[in-house]
Amino acid sequence: MSDLTHFDMQPILMDPKSKAITTDPNTKASRALTAELELLNTLHRALVTSDSVPPSGVPPPPVPVNPKRGANITKLRDNGNAEYRKGRYAEAQKLYTLGIQMALGRPLWEPSALVREELSGLYSNRAQTHMALQNWPEGAVDAETSVEVKKIGNAKAWWRRGKCLLEMGRLDEAASWVRGGLEVEGEEGELVALLKEIEAKREAH
Amino acid sequence: MIPEIDWKGLLLPFAYVIVLGGALMTFSTIYRKRKAAQSANLEPWFSPHLQRNIYLSLLHLSPEDGGEKRVPDSVLKAALLRRAVEDLHRLVQIRSAKQACSTLLQRGSVGNDLWKRFQRAEKEMEEELRDVVTEANALAPNWGQTIFQSANEMAINYKVRNHVDDFQVQARAEREWWDKRRKQIRSEFMKELDDETETTETPNKPASDDEAVLVDTPRLKKAVRK
Repeated sequence: MSDLTHFDMQPILMDPKSKAITTDPNTKASRALTAELELLNTLHRALVTSDSVPPSGVPPPPVPVNPKRGANITKLRDNGNAEYRKGRYAEAQKLYTLGIQMALGRPLWEPSALVREELSGLYSNRAQTHMALQNWPEGAVDAETSVEVKKIGNAKAWWRRGKCLLEMGRLDEAASWVRGGLEVEGEEGELVALLKEIEAKREAH
Repeated sequence: MIPEIDWKGLLLPFAYVIVLGGALMTFSTIYRKRKAAQSANLEPWFSPHLQRNIYLSLLHLSPEDGGEKRVPDSVLKAALLRRAVEDLHRLVQIRSAKQACSTLLQRGSVGNDLWKRFQRAEKEMEEELRDVVTEANALAPNWGQTIFQSANEMAINYKVRNHVDDFQVQARAEREWWDKRRKQIRSEFMKELDDETETTETPNKPASDDEAVLVDTPRLKKAVRK
């Protein structure tokens, strides 16, 4: 690409009906091209169907955000919390899962910080329902996902994975995980207590 | 009176000038050609820009190539966005490589070639960004001002989603591991129970303390299952 006018023609075609871009069946297309075209078609569908796109057909600047989706997600989460408090864990889990799907379905051009915030809360809460149902492995994975999405200010998720690991008897892993949490969160009371519990079990080992 | 010019006597100096000029010119053209060839042969910093190639290919998809009509603008807009996202990835790579590259060059750890490649990539990057802005403005008024903002969020959002997927796929393996582990614990536990049928003590008391943790879990599990 030494000058701006040069480019390599790609073996692609457009389906005139669906407007989807496909690789030319007569040539052998690379895997990278196929993958990229799939991303492109997904993005195109999102651009055409999303209601947050103005008539000009290009994504609006990241802020301000259309509040509709955010409100729906918050509602799902609040309902989930209510179900959880009533002890209907499976229902709460379903609501959180719906919320997660909705948060993941947020248009890509909307602020990523918002997506992180929503996802971390929802995964952390879903981890809690898994724990209430004693599904420790799923709880551990959800709590870890929550932490990965939002590391700081997420002490609950740190604690939840630590607890799940402890319940599964993975003491070393639990201890190093909770220590990592303490490094990020500072001296969080619950985490300190959990670490003590783990250490006590480890010493008995 | 104009003095008669001695053409024959001037022949030698003229020939001298021509030969000298010719030699210099030949040298300069050959030298430049070699230089150009050399820098053209330098490996490019980045691999081919797939998204850019797709975008430009879409622009050039002519009716006889199978597409009955021109590619609609919405597809071009999506393709341009993908291209902008890839540009941002490359921009980050270039920015982070710059410091390291210049330090290494100063120390003499890397050759001049690498530095030349880098500078060329930097220049191309600038042109590429400018080109994307121009294209964006052509597709929708004033889009050039916001396309990279959108692309930036998209780049991060793609990453967040991939990250989430990476972690969520572990759930199945974790579940399988735990089911196996639980079975194992339970069979150990049953064996222990059988061993101590005579004593009516609680089963985990005679067991060593380290197993107390493992023993706890299946009992809880069983309680829930009932």
